[in-house]
This record gives sequence, C-alpha cells and structure tokens, in this order.
Amino acid sequence: MPEEPAHSSAEEPQLVEWAKAGDMQAFEELVSRHRDRIYVRAYSIMRNEDLAVDLSQNAWVKAWQRLDQFHGEASFPTWLSRIVTNLCLDELRRQKRARMDSIEAMEESTGPVENRLEMETVDPVEGLSREELRERIDAALAKLSDKHRTVVVLYEFEQLEYREIAEKMGTSIGTVMSRLFYARKRLAILLKETLKRDGLIE
Amino acid sequence: MNENENELKVQALVDGELTGAEAEALRERMETDDRLRELHAQLTAVRGLMAGAELPRALPELGDFHWNQISEAIRREERQTKRVARPASGANWLLRWVTPLVGMGCILLLFTSLSRHNEPPDLGIRLVSDHELELSADEIDVMTFNTGDDNISIVWLDISIDLRPDSLQLWLD
Repeated sequence: MPEEPAHSSAEEPQLVEWAKAGDMQAFEELVSRHRDRIYVRAYSIMRNEDLAVDLSQNAWVKAWQRLDQFHGEASFPTWLSRIVTNLCLDELRRQKRARMDSIEAMEESTGPVENRLEMETVDPVEGLSREELRERIDAALAKLSDKHRTVVVLYEFEQLEYREIAEKMGTSIGTVMSRLFYARKRLAILLKETLKRDGLIE
Repeated sequence: MNENENELKVQALVDGELTGAEAEALRERMETDDRLRELHAQLTAVRGLMAGAELPRALPELGDFHWNQISEAIRREERQTKRVARPASGANWLLRWVTPLVGMGCILLLFTSLSRHNEPPDLGIRLVSDHELELSADEIDVMTFNTGDDNISIVWLDISIDLRPDSLQLWLD
C-alpha cells in the first residue's frame, strides 16, 4: 500500500485502482475530493439537507461495494453522480408511495398542467453576477414539484438524454418531454417574477 | 399535429434530440411560423441560463465526521455480508452438526436407560396364601402372577425369549 502522502497527491485513476484493491485510505481521499459534488446533486433533487447527507453517504457506501464495476467509461465523479441520482429517485418513489402527488391529482381532475402556462422570455440581466443568478435559479427550482425539478436536474445538471431520464424515472419519453417543457416554463415565470421584484427588469 | 406536439418538437430541437429530416422540416416551418420561432428563442434562453446553474454547496458536516459515517457503514455491511456468506469452518462444522447429534444421542441414552430400569408396575396386589407366583426355570425371562380372587393370570415375557407354542401353553396352564 502507498504511504499516506502519496494519496493526497495521487491522480484519480490511481486512487481508484488502489481503492479497488481494498485501500480504504485511497477511497477516503476520493471521498474528500468529491463529497461536496455528490452532496450537491443529492440536495438538488431532494431539497432536504438531512436526506441529501444520508443519501450521499449511502452513495459512497454503494460506490465502495461496486468499485469493481467501474471500468472508466465515464469519469469517476460522473459514475458516483449516477449512483447518488439513482438513490434519490428510489427515495422519491418511496415518498411518492406514502403521499399523493399534487400535480398528478391536478392532472386527473383538469388535464395536464403543462398545457396551462405561457412561455416567458427571460433575458440575461446585466449587473447580475453569475452567482446571484444561480441563487435565483436555485430558489426557483425549489418551487417546482419533485418530478418537474428532477427532470430538470437530470437533463440540465446530470446531462442525461430524454431516453435515459425516461428509463430512470420509469416513464415514457413523451412524459419526460412534457415535464421538462412545463418545468422550463415555470422556471422562466418564477425567474421573471423575482427579477421584477428586485427591480432588475421592468 | 396539434400545438402541444409542435411545442415539444421545438424543445427537442433546442435540446439536440430532434435530428435528421424531422429537424429539417421543423426548421422550415419555423421560418414561416412566428410563434414557433419565438418559442425556440425563449427555450434557448432558458437553456442558456440553466447551463452550469447548479448552486455549489458545501457538505453541512465536517469531512472527518462524514468519512467516519461512511467507513463505519462500509465495515458494518462487510461484517453482515461475511456473516451470511462465510463457509462453515472446522469449528463451525462441529458446532452445527455434532452438537445436535450429541443432543439426540443423550436423549436416546436417557430413554434406553429408563426402559432398562422400568420395573413391572405396582398393581397394589398383596401376595397372600391364595395367590401364586411362579417363575420360570431361569427365573429371569418369564414371570407369572396368578390371583384366585379375581381369576387373573398375568405373565411378563421378555421379548428375547423363544416363544414356542408348547412352552407358552405350559405357562398358561
């Protein structure tokens, strides 16, 4: 096994190989490098700090158990991100079984909500830093339902294709497209509202 | 094709999910359809805003604590897996198979011992002058008890004895 200083300076593929051979210190170094990113992905989907921490911990445990299945087709953080995303989707399914989803209830009574919103134009605002814009987008994402936010996160942040999202969410490609379209319309409306409120646009 | 389908196709075009002849046909249509063209611009703007918009966050617990939780969970899972999958070692084999066999042996021994010491039941019959107790020649294998009062004869036979009809008749007489 390598000496401890070697871990902190080692390249990621080397750390992965050491971890595959059972080196817990190498795995600890991988956790240290990517823990925030994995937590962020869990938080983006779940919007709950405690759940996001628990699910990201579970993702690391699963990653350790399945290291032999990682062959480097994607990068290590991308592979990890897929694991935590799957755990989040499982958790959402578990939660959904426990409660009635409000959007589905609306669809059953009045037809899909996706059809009842107009698209808004949102222009990038001068004087608003990227960080400030991110915070506003984050606040808007928090107002979406679980399933609409999840589609946005999987498409925009996890960079999955429609087909992959449909498989992960156990739904059709048409439903994914419809949810993504509605989510974008809602995001545009919410962003416009917040920018108006802050006096950044007329 | 209805309006909603057209909107979704425009979105697919923006997302790069609509290709080939279908994409080309939609582009041609957008040249003459202001509404679809506007939608395309709006969706492109939203996509632009969302690119890299995931807000960075720091894990809300110390890195060491986080790692301790993870490593603890890994060890716990490994212990459970080993417990389920571990093949029986020599000592375990003994415990698993020999212990029940020894137990069963003890029970058998106990039954055997009890049956060997099992005396004929005490019938509460007192031997007085008008009763007769006969023993066979070797006084071991057969014992007969007769009571004149009740006209009862009781014969104890050892199953190892050779029960020939003539000798049995002799005892019954």
